[in-house]
Formats: sequence, structure tokens, C-alpha cells
Amino acid sequence: MLKKLTKPLLQVTALAAALGCSAMTLAADKVTFQLDWLPGGDKAPVYVGIQQGFFAAEDLEVKIASGRGSTDAVTKMATGQSDVGTADIGALMAAKARDGVPVSAVLSYFSQAPHAFFTLEGSSIKSLKDVAGKKIATSPFTSSNAFLPLVLKENGMAADSVTLVKSDPGALSPMLMTGNIEGIIAWVTNVALYEKQAAEAGKTLRVIPWTDGGLDLYSSSLLAADKFLSERPDVAKRFVKAFAKAVQFTYANPDKAGADIHAIVPEVDAAIAAAQIRSINGLVYNDVTSHDGFGALTPERMALTWKWVSQANDLAADAMNPEVAVNRDFMPEQK
Amino acid sequence: MTKASERAFVRMEQVGHCYDPAAGNMAVQQIDLEIHRHEFVAVVGPSGCGKSTLLRMVAGLLIPSAGKVSVFDRQVTEPRDDVGIVFQKPTLLPWLTVRDNVLFPLKHKYGLVTAADKVRAEELLAMAGLAQFSARMPDELSGGMQQRVGIVRALLLNPDILLMDEPFSALDAMTREQIGFDLLDIWTEHPKTVLFITHSISEAVLLADRVLVMSQRPGTVLDLIEIDIPRPRSSATINSPRFAELTARIRKHIYEPEVHA
Amino acid sequence: MSQKSMPNKTALSDTATLAIRQWLLNYASALFFIVFVVMWELICRVGKVPVYILPSPVSIVNAFFDVEFSRWLEHLWATLRVALMGFALSICISIPLAIAMVRSEVLSRTIYPALVVIQSTPVVAVAPLIIVLMGTGDMSRVLITCLITFFPLVVSTATGMLETPEELIELSKSLRAPRYRETWQIRIPYAIPHIFSGLKVSITLAIIGAVVAEFVAAEKGLGYFIQFSTSFFKIPQAFAGLIFLAVVSLVLFKSVQWAQQWLYPWSIPKNKR
Ligand SMILES: Nc1ncnc2c1ncn2[C@@H]1O[C@H](COP(=O)(O)OP(=O)(O)OP(=O)(O)O)[C@@H](O)[C@H]1O
Ligand SMILES: [Mg+2]
Repeated sequence: MLKKLTKPLLQVTALAAALGCSAMTLAADKVTFQLDWLPGGDKAPVYVGIQQGFFAAEDLEVKIASGRGSTDAVTKMATGQSDVGTADIGALMAAKARDGVPVSAVLSYFSQAPHAFFTLEGSSIKSLKDVAGKKIATSPFTSSNAFLPLVLKENGMAADSVTLVKSDPGALSPMLMTGNIEGIIAWVTNVALYEKQAAEAGKTLRVIPWTDGGLDLYSSSLLAADKFLSERPDVAKRFVKAFAKAVQFTYANPDKAGADIHAIVPEVDAAIAAAQIRSINGLVYNDVTSHDGFGALTPERMALTWKWVSQANDLAADAMNPEVAVNRDFMPEQK
Repeated sequence: MTKASERAFVRMEQVGHCYDPAAGNMAVQQIDLEIHRHEFVAVVGPSGCGKSTLLRMVAGLLIPSAGKVSVFDRQVTEPRDDVGIVFQKPTLLPWLTVRDNVLFPLKHKYGLVTAADKVRAEELLAMAGLAQFSARMPDELSGGMQQRVGIVRALLLNPDILLMDEPFSALDAMTREQIGFDLLDIWTEHPKTVLFITHSISEAVLLADRVLVMSQRPGTVLDLIEIDIPRPRSSATINSPRFAELTARIRKHIYEPEVHA
Repeated sequence: MSQKSMPNKTALSDTATLAIRQWLLNYASALFFIVFVVMWELICRVGKVPVYILPSPVSIVNAFFDVEFSRWLEHLWATLRVALMGFALSICISIPLAIAMVRSEVLSRTIYPALVVIQSTPVVAVAPLIIVLMGTGDMSRVLITCLITFFPLVVSTATGMLETPEELIELSKSLRAPRYRETWQIRIPYAIPHIFSGLKVSITLAIIGAVVAEFVAAEKGLGYFIQFSTSFFKIPQAFAGLIFLAVVSLVLFKSVQWAQQWLYPWSIPKNKR
């Protein structure tokens, strides 16, 4: 009887608390996290944060929504369907320069570009310069296609020195493995998957990251809706802190991280996810982070990133000050 | 009462109709016709001469663009619900049993049927020799049986006027003759004013009191022939000399119209 | 059995061929299926076709059983729920719409072009917009499904209602029955066979609609599962999902057929009943 009476009462107070003073929390703060693609090893930190209790420790309840590309993820944050998420900072910059979307980068995740050429051991493509005059397959909508001419130019090749074959993403791997094509454009985040395929076909994968050819920029970053940052700054701060912790844990314990993501999304193999995490360690921890620290979004590198992004997207270099795309108020303190 | 039956029951005065005023050509024109109560009038004429048009005017489904049609001295200005219509195709509803098809006009008009209605439907079906088929579905019946059901359906509301538009033309010759005599039996038992359209001259002569012969489009009255063959008629009637004379007279109108023009 | 009743030799072979024929007719599709699968497996094995090009039936079956059954059910339920809700919503919208269009010339003239425009817009292109506008919940997926399924239903219902024999409409008029009875007692029943052919098309489209919606935004469902499997290069698993999806479509299609047979047996041509 008493329970019946108190339950709605409790709900009302909880609601009032959530609406009014978020500091005075009765229930955990709810945060919707946006992925820019389907769950996988490269998306492990948020799952780790849940499974290892990093979010719970900050009194956060995190819900994860999968996405369909960086632009989709940015749109979902801009329209308020999600609060924070990981997506390519380049997509954010382009969207901000064009439409001024109310989303900002708060933490860097990949401080290097993931774009790369994949070929097989034994191919004549041994370095970036060798792709001249070759036929290369790529998927039609990847952002890599826009960076390719810039990378070629950077390495003294004409933009049309590579013949691009557009093909469904699912067909790239079979094309490469069957020798249908000599090289493909793919992301370093998929190296583990391609290596497994290559091994099954009795071959060895060779990866030529574009960072070797001078492509130097931030890519996947933690973004947040401006509304979330301004209305619930405290929640945002705690979230970023917990997320940074989760990233650290993920790359220190790939196997545990793999198991964590598998626990939430059974379709993801723990072992494959762990392999993915190991293979992309260099995107997360590298020269840039050893200099600036993990998560930093320095003005210099932001400007560098914008230089590449603006050219790739045919935007004027002065169309936007890259600093408007970043909000450093939520950076966790560096030790 | 005798007086009323003497009077013209259905009257058409200088009736004409034009379906397409823009083109301006008449489908039928200058039709004058009087039908007595409980008279059986057959209409023959070439295809497209306006027989169906005439029938639809009597039913009030079509209001003539010239002249006027009246039933029992009242001008027809809207659909009449005291007519029963039998179409060329039986057009039974495939989702209803034979009995429910017969009851359909009631159900459709009033939304409900009573036990008494059901009894009446069974009686009518029995009269048409379909008693044991009342629970069947229409597609389990032969074409002739379906057409009988169509006639029974038209009789359900006990209409004063029975309008039949080539009701037997889809049937084979033998069935056709038999069902014609059945119709006469029903008509004798339940007298009605009948307007019967047909393409068969012998059928018209065999069944009707009078035969209206219409001209090519635009349809006009070519002749109105009294069929003075005594009733009851039977298949023997066909062999009588009078029958031959009358059919010959009609045939002449149809096949040699210029002679009379 | 007994010597006496044994038919003579030619008659025996005749009945035998007849029996074989009948048997073939009955099991033709099953036989074809078995031959097809066996050929497929053989080609994969003999030709050593890599699994990422064409997985063999055995590897697909293995992949199917590798996934927990409860997991399959979860994905199935997610897709089925959206497909059926979209299908139901589409029925609720399209049948009244068709009735309104048949009854009013003005409506039919204004709505038809709009319908054609909606139909010719690829749902795949509009789906992301709907998700942005309506959120990532079931509601937007149901709407996407509804969009893809309702056109054939409207058209088939309207066509069926308009194909009612003119005589019956005249009969209704001459009875001076209220207009709604003309619709409910004549036109709609007459449209039943058409409505069901529309329903059969729509139910398969409903599955496609739900899958398209899952491609755009979902955390569960067979479409999501297939997309997921492909992105992890688990091709046999993707095929297993695809085949499962096809089986679900087939079952739904058959269910509509059974429903028609059960509810409106008269609406099926006599030789097919
Ligand atoms: N709804 C309509 N609209 C326009 N014209 C019509 C319409 N109905 C009939 N007509 C025309 O009117 C004329 C008479 O048609 P009607 O149907 O009355 O002929 P009919 O004598 O019954 O022909 P049939 O013996 O072939 O049934 C025809 O020439 C036909 O083209
Ligand atoms: Mg006619």
C-alpha cells in the first residue's frame, strides 16, 4: 500500500531533480553515446567504460546507439538524438564550415589518420610512391577518396596517376585476395579483419598507411552536442573523464576490452576485437600523444587538420577558424 | 382496380436521350410508348440502338434529356425501388450463398433480413426449382441456374415492374427456351409489368404480349407488334403459322430497314 | 499381389510412369532444391571457392548454428515486430484512403499524383531523413516500412473497388440503398481478391522496409545482423542471415495466402482452392 503511494511520488521527485538541479542526483545521469559505425574493436572504449564500471563510478548511465558513418553520427548529435559520440573530426569540421552544426570536439581519440593502402605481400606496391599507374579499388563513399589526390600530390604524383575502381565495401577484400586488384584503400582499423582473411587465403597483408606519406591530422575524436555541453556541463565533464580512462584501459588490456564488447554485443568476437585493438594502438598512442598527451586537441594540429580537411572538401582555407570546432573546457586534467 | 390496370402503367412521351451533349448525337429519340399493367413487352433492335438506355430510364437510373417517362402517372426523376432488374450476366455476389444472394436486395436496402424474408427466399427458390441449392455458393451452379437465381433475386422485393436486359443471352439454346417458359410460369403466378430486352426475335414473339421494334441508332420506334398468340404458350407455339408470320414481320424490320424508311 | 489381379505388363509400366510423373510433380520443387544445394556444395568443394566469394551450404549451416538460437530469435523478433507493425499501419492507412479515393473524384485526382511521387522516391534515400526527424526508435522504422508497403495496397484496393461490375452498382442505386452499404456490401468484398494480391506484395515489401530501416539505424534485427556480419567479413554468417530472412518472407507470404484461403475461400479461383 505504502509502496503504491510512494512510487509515483519518487518518480516525480526524480523527474524534478533531473529537470531542475542535475547536481543533486537521485538517479544516475543518462547519456546517449553515438557510434559512427557498427560496434567493433575500434569502438571498444565505451563498452569497456560500461563493463569496467568507469561510467558507473561517475554516476553515469550510458546508452549506445550505432551509426552509419561520421556525417550520420554528427547529424544525430546535432539533432539531439545523442549527447556524445566518436566520429571523424574532419566530418565535423566540414559540417561546421557548411552549416555551423552545434557540435564540438572535446577530446581526441585517433591522433593520426587511419587511411591506408592495403596490398598483399609479393605485390609491386611496396611504398606509397609505387601506386602510380596502378589500379586501386575503393568504396564509393569513404572520406579517403577525398584525401587521395592530396596525398598523391604531397608525394609528387599527379592526382590522376592512380586509376580508382569504386566498389562495394564488402567486395574489396575478395577483390584483393583473389588478385583481382593489386591494392585497395581501407582503414587501419580494419587491418585485423583483413589479416585474418589473408591468412585464410594463405597470403600476407601489407599495409601502407598514408601517415607515411605526410597525411598528418586528427581523425576519430570524442564529439559532443553543444546543447549537452551547455546544459549539463557537469555530466559532460564526468563523462569525458570516464571515457579517457576507458580508452587507457582498452589499449592496456586488449583482451579484457574484447571480452567487454562481446559481453554487450555478442555478435562481436572477443578475439577479433582484441586483435583490432592491438593493431590500431598506433592511431591512439603515437608521437603526437607522447608530445601533447592523450586526448589533446592542440591549436597547431587543429589548424593542420583543417588544412587537409578544407582541401579535401573543396572548402576555402578561411571558410572557418578551426578553433570553433573544438571545446577544451572538458579535457581531463593531464597527469 | 380494374380501371387502374386498364390505364397505361408505364408511359414514355417523346423521350430522347443524348449521352454526350458536346457531340450532340442522340442515342434514342422520339420514343412514344405505353405499357399496360402486367403486360409483357419485349424490345428488339440492332445492337447499340438504345434498348438498355430505355430500360435504365424506366428504372430511373437515367433521366432522359428530352421528353418524359412516367410510371403510374408520376414522372420518374430518381431511381425507383419498385423495380426488379435482371441483367445479362447473373452478377451474383460470389461471397454469398444462393439464398443470401436472393436476400441481398433486402439486406442492402434495409440492412437486415427477418426470418420471414428467409422463408420467402426459400419459397421463391423452390418455385425456380433451386430448393436444394440454396446453401450452395454461386460458382457451384451452372450458368442457367445462376441466371434463375438472378431472376429470383429481382422478384424478392415483389416489384411492380420487372426489367430484364437480355437475361438469357449468355445461355445455350436449350436452357434458354426452358428458362423462358419458366419465366412465363412465374409471371402467370405473380403478374408483373415486364420490359424484356432480347436479341432473339423468336424469343420475343414466344414470350411477349407486344414486341417493340427499334431502329438503328439513334433509336426510334419502328413498329409495335401485338402478339395475338393465345396463352399458355409452349414449345408447340413455335410451329404455329402465326408465330412464323409475326417473326417474319419483325425480321423484315431488322434486316431490310430501308424498305420502311 | 495375387497373380490374378496382377495387371499385364504394358499396363503396369503405364501406371508406373504415371506414378513417377505424379511424384515428380509433387516433389519437383523439393527435388530441385536438393539438387541445387548439392551442386552448390560440390562446386564450392571441388573448385575450392574461397569462402569470401561464395560460402558453401555446409559452412552457412554451421554459421547458422554458431549463433545462439535465442540471439536469432531476438533479431527475428526485432525485424518481425517492425515489419508487422508497419504492415498493419499501412493497412490502416491505405484501405480507408482507397475507399475515399474511389468515392470522391476530387480526392482521387489530388491524392493519386502525391502517391505516385511518394512511391517513386526511393525509400532508401528518405530513410535517413525520417530517422533524423523521428528519432532512432521503432516509430521511424515502422514509418519507413509503412511508406514502402502502402502504395501497392492502395492501388490494388482502389482497382478492386473500381472493377465492381457496373450492374451491381446500378442494382444498389435502384434499391436506393445508403452509399456506405454500396461500399461495404459490394465494392469492398469485390475488392477482396485484389486486396489480397496487394497484401501479398506488401508483406514481402514490409520485410524489405524493416531491413532498409535497420541498415540506417538499429541495434538489432536481421538486417542489422547481416550488415554486421558483412562488416566483419563473416560471409557465411551473412548468408545464414539472408537465408533466414528469405524464409521469414516466405512464411509471411504463405500466411497471407492461408489467411485468404481461410477467411475468403470464394476469392480464390476454384481450381486453386
Ligand atoms: N454511358 C454511356 N455513355 C455514352 N454513350 C453511351 C452510354 N451508354 C450507351 N451509350 C451509347 O448509346 C447508344 C445506345 O446504347 P444502349 O446500351 O442503350 O444500346 P443497346 O441497344 O442496349 O445495345 P446492345 O444491344 O448492344 O446492348 C449506343 O450507341 C452507345 O454507344
Ligand atoms: Mg444493352
